Amino acid sequence: MDFPFPEYNLQYMLPEIFLFVWALVVISFDLLSKRNNGSTTGYLTLFGIAIAGLLLGLVGNGKGFGKMFINDNVAVFFKVIFLGAAFMAVGSSFGVMQKKIVNHRGEFYALLLMSTTGMMFLSSSQELLSIYLGLELTTIPLFAMAAFYKDDKLSVESGIKYFIIGAFSSALMVYGMSFLYGLTGSTDLAQMKVAFFKTHLQFGDMGIVMILALIMLAAGIGFKLALPPFHQWAPDVYEGAPTPVAAFLSVGSKGAGLIAFAKIFVDGLYAYHSPDMAPNDWGMLIGILAIAAMVLGNVLAIRQTNIKRMLAYSSIAQAGYIMIGMVALSASGIASVGFYLFIYLFANMGAFAAVAVFEDMTGSCQIKSYAGLARTSPFFSAVMAVFLLSLAGIPPLAGFLAKYYVFASVVDVAQRSADSSWMYWMVGIGLLTTVFALFYYANVIKVMFFSPETSPYKVEAPLPAKAVLAIGVIGVLLFGLYPEPILQFATGISSSLHFMP
Amino acid sequence: MVPISAYLIVAVVLFGIGTMGVLISRNIIVLFMCVELMLNAANLALIAFSRSLNIMDGHAFVFLVLTVAAAEAAVGLAMVITIYNNRESINIDRFNILKW
Amino acid sequence: MTLDMFIFVFSAIVAVFGATMMISQRNPVAAVLYLIVSLVAQAVLYVQLGSVFMGAVLIIVYAGAILVLFVFVIMMLNLRGKEDLGDNSPPISRATKYIISMLMVAEFVFIVHGSVFSGPGGGMLEAETVAGFGSVEGIAKLLFTRYLYPFELTSILLLSAVVGAVVMAKRREIHEQSDSGSVSIDNDSNEGVK
Repeated sequence: MDFPFPEYNLQYMLPEIFLFVWALVVISFDLLSKRNNGSTTGYLTLFGIAIAGLLLGLVGNGKGFGKMFINDNVAVFFKVIFLGAAFMAVGSSFGVMQKKIVNHRGEFYALLLMSTTGMMFLSSSQELLSIYLGLELTTIPLFAMAAFYKDDKLSVESGIKYFIIGAFSSALMVYGMSFLYGLTGSTDLAQMKVAFFKTHLQFGDMGIVMILALIMLAAGIGFKLALPPFHQWAPDVYEGAPTPVAAFLSVGSKGAGLIAFAKIFVDGLYAYHSPDMAPNDWGMLIGILAIAAMVLGNVLAIRQTNIKRMLAYSSIAQAGYIMIGMVALSASGIASVGFYLFIYLFANMGAFAAVAVFEDMTGSCQIKSYAGLARTSPFFSAVMAVFLLSLAGIPPLAGFLAKYYVFASVVDVAQRSADSSWMYWMVGIGLLTTVFALFYYANVIKVMFFSPETSPYKVEAPLPAKAVLAIGVIGVLLFGLYPEPILQFATGISSSLHFMP
Repeated sequence: MVPISAYLIVAVVLFGIGTMGVLISRNIIVLFMCVELMLNAANLALIAFSRSLNIMDGHAFVFLVLTVAAAEAAVGLAMVITIYNNRESINIDRFNILKW
Repeated sequence: MTLDMFIFVFSAIVAVFGATMMISQRNPVAAVLYLIVSLVAQAVLYVQLGSVFMGAVLIIVYAGAILVLFVFVIMMLNLRGKEDLGDNSPPISRATKYIISMLMVAEFVFIVHGSVFSGPGGGMLEAETVAGFGSVEGIAKLLFTRYLYPFELTSILLLSAVVGAVVMAKRREIHEQSDSGSVSIDNDSNEGVK
């Protein structure tokens, strides 16, 4: 029963520690400076996130706390995405801060930073317990943030719905984890993998309990990713929550679910995917979820009148496209997932930032209130159009390449492996649904540009929101034409998730 | 001695009752308690597995799950107070402004 | 039936009974009390499985802290049954819910029962546990060496939960209009506290 004390190596967690301390600094600053209008706190938060990003670039790869905390390529990649999402969410929140959140500004930013810290810890975790705690640390601050307009019935309702779903799904996940622990005798993913092989060699099939555990885990993470049939909460929560929070949820929380999924299913249970264990293959399960997500998300998005709800359904569909890359389960598949998420960060955060700016001006999220916006504020409309077209996957923009890589990686795998005709079906359905997607994205653009009346509004964005929009547009355009750096960065992921031959 | 599967069956029944409660309960406080019950069922399963494997890692898991349950309950109940001030109801059927 | 078996059967029945009664109560206070009954029975099962400390922690933390918080909130909202919390959905959908839930429980039991754990010989517990199994010392050693990292994570988690809970539960706020500078006090009609 003696364990050696772990080597701490705290320097590898420097960005996380800094971000957490910075959250406390932000709270204290907001408490001590009573009469500010919130923008100082916001700039302070942005500054902290930027410093954390800088530290992340400096610390390098390594292990801390025994082998519990690992800073490898996949962790760094996802941490960059989480920090970017936090940065863009904070940047687009300045208008909200002026108008709607009068109290607790410091707490709002602190909760956002703590949630980001949780995501970063999650992406460095190597065993079930830390993964569970990282996910909880990600979501618990988000519950409060979704309900942050306490006098607004919609916001509080969305918060409580998110809470119910979040707590329920984490309970499902713990139960699944308890079975994994019971079957393998370890919570460490690397040891779990070894134990699976051993059990498989000894007894052959792992039995139906394993499937039950997998389903529980997939359901728990599926809730976080808003994959059908666990998607109903997403539109409600996105509609009710403050727009920057919805934006952060759509990228940050989705990324957190994705990294947890990758850690458990790809890294931990990859043994289960190897050819001689094929009857226990879970790839098809994920494939079915992905198809359901693409079809449901894209079809239901068409009839939405609220743009936040529309973006929610579109994000469900995007999760489906991301999961296609997971199904491929090859190095290129994982790399394409990373690439997709990176581009999704720019396009989706940008779209939500534009929605937030417009909502601050007009107080409306209805698509019809965007009518004729191109006449009064052509620049803003063009930016919005770029984001939507990238989400739809129109060629010169980065969203097209992201979709292309995902589909190409699956086709590549399908060509090499036998009995994979369902993968072609999946790709076909995916391509078909992108057409639907084009329809509802183009609808917003049509309303903005080709509506007969002229909009009564002229959009004036605050400086940080302008910066966020600029970052988004530059990201979408630049990486659409010149994707190599991101591709290389994303290819690094697959070297860290240990694929067995 | 009692076989290990007996404990697991108790755990799974408790988990099922908790899930059932989440599905059928209209009272949001009872609904939260059902989630707590689900976590407890997972804890019981963890302890039972820990005993049958004869290693103690499951205990650490249970300990931290308890902590998370406490944190979740605190935030959740605070949100119940907020929504009660807002709606004067704790019946989840009334929380229907957003289409569920 | 040995004493061991008797204790197990008794506590298992009490645990399941308490849980069933909890979800069927309309009065939330009664539901809390039934949950406590179920938890105490579960604690007995923990002790029977050799983890005395976790059994004690379960009672202290759950019955002593978390469920007191529940009771506290119920009292604070002063519900007193003035609201109909029954299921008002049509009987068919209600019946469907119950039947599906029952089927799910039955299926879970079937799966676990028919699994590797109840296989020949594999199902019985070893009579002897490792030295110090379930003791405070063993858990402390685990938490402060191998599981130190998740243990530290919980500290951040608890702090963020505190911040979130304070933000959510704080009432009667002063709303400052940022443009006019006028101050208005929000009296969000809390008949709960009166």
